[in-house]
Amino acid sequence: MVKRREGFTVDVSLRVAAGEACGLFGASGAGKSTVLACLAGAETPDDGVIRLDELTLFPPPLPLHRRPIGYLTQDASLFPHLDVSQNVRFGLSNGVAGGSEDWIAELREKLQIGSIWHQPAHAISGGQARRVALARMLARRPRLVLLDEPFSGLDRHLVRELIAAIAEWHALLGFALLVVDHDAEVLARICPRALAIEEGRVVQSGAWDALRAQPATPLLAQLLAPL
Amino acid sequence: MIRRAAAVVFAIALLYPLAGLFAPVGPWRWGGTETAGAVWISLSLTGIAMVIVVVLGTPMALYVARSSTRERLWWQAVLLISVLLPPLALGILLSLAFGPHALGAFLDRFGLQMTNTPLAFVVTQTYVSIGYYVLGAIAALDGVSPRLELQGRLLGHGPWSVFWRITFPLARLGFAVALSLAWVRSLTEFGAIVITAYYPAGMPVALWTNLENFGLPAVMPLLLVFLLTALPLPWLAHILAQRRFARA
Repeated sequence: MVKRREGFTVDVSLRVAAGEACGLFGASGAGKSTVLACLAGAETPDDGVIRLDELTLFPPPLPLHRRPIGYLTQDASLFPHLDVSQNVRFGLSNGVAGGSEDWIAELREKLQIGSIWHQPAHAISGGQARRVALARMLARRPRLVLLDEPFSGLDRHLVRELIAAIAEWHALLGFALLVVDHDAEVLARICPRALAIEEGRVVQSGAWDALRAQPATPLLAQLLAPL
Repeated sequence: MIRRAAAVVFAIALLYPLAGLFAPVGPWRWGGTETAGAVWISLSLTGIAMVIVVVLGTPMALYVARSSTRERLWWQAVLLISVLLPPLALGILLSLAFGPHALGAFLDRFGLQMTNTPLAFVVTQTYVSIGYYVLGAIAALDGVSPRLELQGRLLGHGPWSVFWRITFPLARLGFAVALSLAWVRSLTEFGAIVITAYYPAGMPVALWTNLENFGLPAVMPLLLVFLLTALPLPWLAHILAQRRFARA
């Protein structure tokens, strides 16, 4: 897919297998988030083709509400006028399958949001909001999950908790997973495969060890080097 | 405490012109232009105009609010032109634009008279108020993050469902204010209405004819009735919006 930006063009070609977890890694402004936004439908590519199994997401742009995609950013984007329970059920109130009470209860228990279940979404902490956003996204059983810096601004122990939760649900539901983060260590804990992006182009793809052993560019070497 | 006292002083100053109701103008004359008729005409035709304003203005506000900055500036200029026109000038322009040498001749073929008819009244009220509603609604929509709407769409809801479940509940207070402004602007319109629809006489025209024919004693009671009938609807809109907002 191609997306023209002021000053540079994002032009990437990538394939993620069903159930695979892949980390998009690169410097700030490399175009990682643009890739996710185009996949989610938040932005429309200028050219190219995007497919999700039998579904063509682009072209023409498939309406967002018909995309079986979960999209989580550093801003949990909970609906502030609804409580936690209503937020989690939001995606199930439109005739979507898989919305049984057992399923909701499982999400509530495993993500430890039972104690805040009836609290207004605007009254919970940042860490809780991420877990609620994760539950809301997973409730629809998406086939592809896009996470754009989901750990940004969280304490270290909250990041660990969230990583564990994402890994667990990924194994359980088997969705394809694309994660963007600037921290290679965090990404490597969720995603066995890395895709390194520089100035809108994929410069290297493979296992993290391979990237660290032989980085394709000097910038990538710098980004992967320990502090 | 000081702030509240200042607010009270502000309110007293704001409402001070109403002291004129107690001016010694002689015994109030409740006859004059038929009061109930004028009230009914004003409230019913303004109600119809408000339905049109909301139905046409809300999608426009949504479009402008979510358009690019450059495009948005153009649309806002268009809306401001409609708001900035002096009412009398707007009335003259409307009577010319919908006159027999323009669109009026075409509408006349379908039996639609654009002068001194309820239709002319409603069209004029719509023109004078829709700009206020749309500008107010845009400001209300600006308070709702597009990211929330994006999440709503990705959670399987179409644009209409997202509007009702996310956008409108979060912007309802602003919508209530926009509708109130449009209602008041429309209901109190005189300058444009007096040109396009002197008949049927609504409240502002009735006030004018009472003043002309019977003097101040015939204006005061009509003014009181006007205030009492015009206030409840926009106030109710605010009350409902505040209540739901507090619950949310």
